[in-house]
Amino acid sequence: MKTIHIFIVFILVAVAQLILPAQMIFNQEDILKTGTAFKFKTQPVDPSNPFKGKYIYLNFEANTIKTTDSTWSRHEPVFVSVVEDSLGFAMVDKVTRVKPSNGDFVNAKVSYYSSYDKTLRLDYPFNEFYMNETKAFDAEIAHANAQNDSIPNNTYALVFIKEGETVLDNVFIDEIPIADYVE
Amino acid sequence: MNSKLIKELPQLVKDQVITEDVARNIEVYYQLKQDDKPNKLFTVFGVLGSILVGLGVILILAHNWDNFTRATKTIFAFLPLVIGQLFVGYSIFKNKSATWKEASGTFLFFAVGSSIALVSQIYNIPGDLSSFLLTWIVLCLPLIYLLKSNALAMLHIVFATYYACNYGYGYFTMQQTPWLYLGLMVLVLPHYWQLLKNHPKANVTSIFNWILPLSCTIILGAFVNNQGDYGYLMYVILFGLFYNIGKIPFFDDQKLRRNGYLIFGSVGTVILLLWTSFNWIWEFNENNLTFASQEFFIALFLFVVTAMVLGYSYSKKWIKGFNLFHIVFIMFTVLFFIGTSNSIIPTIAINCIIFALGLITVKIGTDKFHFGILNYGLLIITALVVCRFFDTDMSYVIRGLLFVSVGAGFFITNYVMLKKQKSKLNSKH
Repeated sequence: MKTIHIFIVFILVAVAQLILPAQMIFNQEDILKTGTAFKFKTQPVDPSNPFKGKYIYLNFEANTIKTTDSTWSRHEPVFVSVVEDSLGFAMVDKVTRVKPSNGDFVNAKVSYYSSYDKTLRLDYPFNEFYMNETKAFDAEIAHANAQNDSIPNNTYALVFIKEGETVLDNVFIDEIPIADYVE
Repeated sequence: MNSKLIKELPQLVKDQVITEDVARNIEVYYQLKQDDKPNKLFTVFGVLGSILVGLGVILILAHNWDNFTRATKTIFAFLPLVIGQLFVGYSIFKNKSATWKEASGTFLFFAVGSSIALVSQIYNIPGDLSSFLLTWIVLCLPLIYLLKSNALAMLHIVFATYYACNYGYGYFTMQQTPWLYLGLMVLVLPHYWQLLKNHPKANVTSIFNWILPLSCTIILGAFVNNQGDYGYLMYVILFGLFYNIGKIPFFDDQKLRRNGYLIFGSVGTVILLLWTSFNWIWEFNENNLTFASQEFFIALFLFVVTAMVLGYSYSKKWIKGFNLFHIVFIMFTVLFFIGTSNSIIPTIAINCIIFALGLITVKIGTDKFHFGILNYGLLIITALVVCRFFDTDMSYVIRGLLFVSVGAGFFITNYVMLKKQKSKLNSKH
């Protein structure tokens, strides 16, 4: 192969290497700009990823739904329709296997179905919030402390939703972004 | 070593062992060889430097600089990637040396990983580690061939192994099989083939001779899902395959330390056999074993491939004489299926096979006057005896006698061979 041919192929590879992260950014920005914002009540825990850094793992309160249908299998992809409750937090309206034609929904996965209490548990695709490595552990502590004040659970994740795709924008404790709260 | 020889040259000329011309030729020869060396060293250091810088960049970005805005962080995500691409583009366009290509390619490899990781971090995209690794590996795969880079090929194998481990061995993902790993490995084979063809004796080729069987050995277990007992069979056949590949003259004629296949095959077979020489291994529930399982078909596939290599070796007359190691995988396969209904026969047979393998290895060692092989054979027998030491249903006296006799065997065989070697040397002089 001539140098110029190798070079042309390389340019294609380089473009692919650039397009993939750019595509990721574009999708996420689009959801942030045109998607609907929902507040998901949550509890943070602090693990880490070798490449992406420290994050807080979010346990959401609105991750279950009562159902008598017991045919759900683990990791099965599902559509979760969400609505706002009276306090303005997200709650699960219904879970379906077919794409809902209207309303806001999240592409989620089945965690497991408990036949004991007839509850379906869900895994959301926005359960990791990446934080500065010095703040991630503090964030978990801050949340635990905030739990002890007068308001029951005041930690929530702000999630933008557009046609099933989601972007986790920020996590708030007492209406303050968690990164600022721990400072 | 060379400098020592060059220092000796004036003395050799003086004593009229060699002429002055020959001395000069020798000096020039080593000079030229020396000039060739720094190049290789540069490449190694260039690659190591790139790996360290690349990993460093990933760690610095993983810190998560939350004072920066999203836009600034996004620029940082692309910066190492673009720098890496410029360097690689430059070294391709200007057709720079291998050092340039290896080092810039290695840096670009890590830059690709860091940019995907950082974008995921900025937008809190969860995604599991294995799919992240897979995207990363695939995006860098063409670079192996564009740059003809050994470093990238090695990184590819290492990261493909990492991917498959994460995919197949994870706590929640035991039921998954990393089939794509096979594809990733096949895609790197043309590069390896070129190395074997063009540089069979190069150090870098022998590194591949080691990491390929190592990677396969690590990953094979990830292909076992429910039928865990087939794991023994799959591994014994895999090691049989490695042994038979290692015995192909192309590899066998090289130094032993370059022949990862032979060593993996031999040591792996012995370890697996020792493991299955315990009776309790064979007391598995035969009802759990089914033929219509992924594990059975993988074992069958490996068996057919290994049998083909063995058959080809025989047809080419590469195998001279009888060596039990070549056919252990066939015997084990038969014993494995006998073992589904009877646990005594395979236990006894495998103990006999290990003992025979030890004796054969000792015999080869004495025939070749190779102390390493001789003691490896004795080590096999010792390991067998040590394993039986833990079988409490054997009398203490018998176990004691076994130990004493094997220990004595060590002394006697080494002593006899040393004597033989000495007398051979004496007769030569």
